[in-house]
Amino acid sequence: MTDADTIDAAERDLMVVTLRSLAEELDGTELEQGLDAFGFTDLLAEAPCDAVSALFTALGRAGSIATSLQDVLRQPLAEYLPVATTEYNVVLPGIGAELVGTAESAGLAVRGLVIGAREATTFLAPVAIQGELSWVRLVASAGIGARRVKGLDPALGIIEVTGADVTADVMVAGERAVAAWDAVATAGRLALGYQILGAVDRMIELAVDHARNRVQFGQPIGSFQAVRNRLADAHVAREGAAAALSAAWEADDAVLAGLLAKSLAGRAARIAAMQCQQVLAGIGFTAEHPFHRFMARALVLDSVLGSATELPAAIGARLISAGSIPRLVEL
Amino acid sequence: MDVREFRAGVQAWIDEVGQTLVPDLDDQSVDAQLNHQRRVQRSLFDAGWMRWGWPARIGGLGGSPILRAVLGEELTSRALVHTTSWSMHEVLGPAVAEFGPPDLVADIFPLLLRGEEFWCQGFSEPEAGSDLGSMRTTARQHRGGWVINGEKLWTSWAHHATRCVVLARTGGRGSRGISAFLVDMDTPGVTAKPVETMAGVDEFCSTSFVDVEVPAPRLLGELDAGWRVAQFILSCERGAIFWQRGAWLAHHLGLLLDDAAAGRSPAALGEAYQLLWAFRATSKDTQARIAEGQLPGPEASVDKIMIAAADQAVFDTARELLCGAIETEDTARSLAWRREWAYSRAATIYGGTSEIQKDIVASRLLGLPRSA
Repeated sequence: MTDADTIDAAERDLMVVTLRSLAEELDGTELEQGLDAFGFTDLLAEAPCDAVSALFTALGRAGSIATSLQDVLRQPLAEYLPVATTEYNVVLPGIGAELVGTAESAGLAVRGLVIGAREATTFLAPVAIQGELSWVRLVASAGIGARRVKGLDPALGIIEVTGADVTADVMVAGERAVAAWDAVATAGRLALGYQILGAVDRMIELAVDHARNRVQFGQPIGSFQAVRNRLADAHVAREGAAAALSAAWEADDAVLAGLLAKSLAGRAARIAAMQCQQVLAGIGFTAEHPFHRFMARALVLDSVLGSATELPAAIGARLISAGSIPRLVEL
Repeated sequence: MDVREFRAGVQAWIDEVGQTLVPDLDDQSVDAQLNHQRRVQRSLFDAGWMRWGWPARIGGLGGSPILRAVLGEELTSRALVHTTSWSMHEVLGPAVAEFGPPDLVADIFPLLLRGEEFWCQGFSEPEAGSDLGSMRTTARQHRGGWVINGEKLWTSWAHHATRCVVLARTGGRGSRGISAFLVDMDTPGVTAKPVETMAGVDEFCSTSFVDVEVPAPRLLGELDAGWRVAQFILSCERGAIFWQRGAWLAHHLGLLLDDAAAGRSPAALGEAYQLLWAFRATSKDTQARIAEGQLPGPEASVDKIMIAAADQAVFDTARELLCGAIETEDTARSLAWRREWAYSRAATIYGGTSEIQKDIVASRLLGLPRSA
């Protein structure tokens, strides 16, 4: 990271406060307008680490949604694609899939997710065509279905894009397509990692607050070691994810650092979901209490771009092919 | 000396002489390990690398304490020294430098750095493990000095040590009535007996103190303020020692990559590596705070929990991927793995158990109420 990519501490503090209050006070289209007025995309180009960490943590904490993930995904694509990428939504692979679609001889089958969709009826998607990674342009009218997902987290507003035998323009293929996908997936993993982290923070805060105030057997339950250990476990997992996200920006292997950060964020989501829900007990199981919304948000995002169960295998495979254990950052 | 310049210098030095410093796997006794350690320390001291990161008044060459973490990392990541014996000067060195009598420290510190002296830590007792504040060893005033009586346990390397930092009760009950002393191990009445462990390395000792006379200037810090010295020592472990242990773990994970079995369990490798990375990314900030002169504080309990988890994950992965080497092979290589695996079982116990660390996290970082 060069000096040009960073902003000074006072500016950063102000930016964090502004983005956090936008994310807390607004949602959806209004938040999108607020972020446009704030100049989020300019900030993203100027200081990606500060912009992404501040906004996506704030989104995770507030539980709000915006179109900013598309901004984050489009930015690295601009370098590889010969079109103005602002006219498209970037489609991410469906849960459990490596890419959005495959085509052997003819007929491309696609299944993918758009998170933070902008008003646009065309999509850019990474697919495999006869085994070769390619970025294709898909048009909504050409056999493409777009469904607004309710699922575990209806408020996230995911659009599922599907098609059985679709026509697609190949925009870029081969090595450049692979590099573009690495860059897009890494940017997405970091942004989603921060959003997960924000939701994890809220899960822990809600559970800690409950443990301090809920009295059973004549004591706050937070004085019982069984409860304290659960919350400490969640906090430790949270700290590991936060450190991995922060260090990813300076790591010498950005793709590996992105995989690690997302994996650790997903792991923290799972640990916090389990431990905090157990501490919150009955009240945390009700629809009235906000806990379940943060849990659903964190767990759905864990599943996108590689989950905490999928990514360790990918990480291990990279280590084996590299034949060494990278330090990634030095003191 | 700048950190990058230092690292490059150490790496170049290792490239030049490292081959002569590779330990002999055929003799894995504690004697051989410590003889090797002395040899490496002597070479590093003569080349100057061992002295960077320590103040000039105690024989160092100055510079950030980060330099010591870098040196440890470069050595343990190549297994030129063993991580546990390499920790010795880092466990007690900073506290003795801080609280010891300046004249004595100026005399003995170079001996520690050059590997001519080893120092050990007399904290735990048979009846005082996690509840360290309940220790029973006493120091009473006697002819202008002190007389120490009691028994310490888990005093690593005590049977090879020249000196020991002993915590003993000088006042009332609890942690406020404890003082710290620097005791010469050849003082009459000190007896160190190795404790055999499941790791098969007789590093730990049971050390008894019977009417051990200690001169007055050997009190470290203030009277009845030994708890502060103990906290300081425990916090030092979170610095260079953790950093180089992380590098040692990475080295062992790296050895597994060559194994044909690795391809069958990429997820286990990835899981262990990500836990190690979570630790490293977290510890990097801790190292920076220590270098600025701050005590690591309750936040470093998080580092301790993380490295213990990574430690056990790395060696559990080894046991899985080495396909029986740890369980049923009797080669020098498998013995080394077996000992490392066994030692890793204690990672969640030594230096403050994970339960104690979690309690600190719960009270001091999360603000949960203590038990009524």
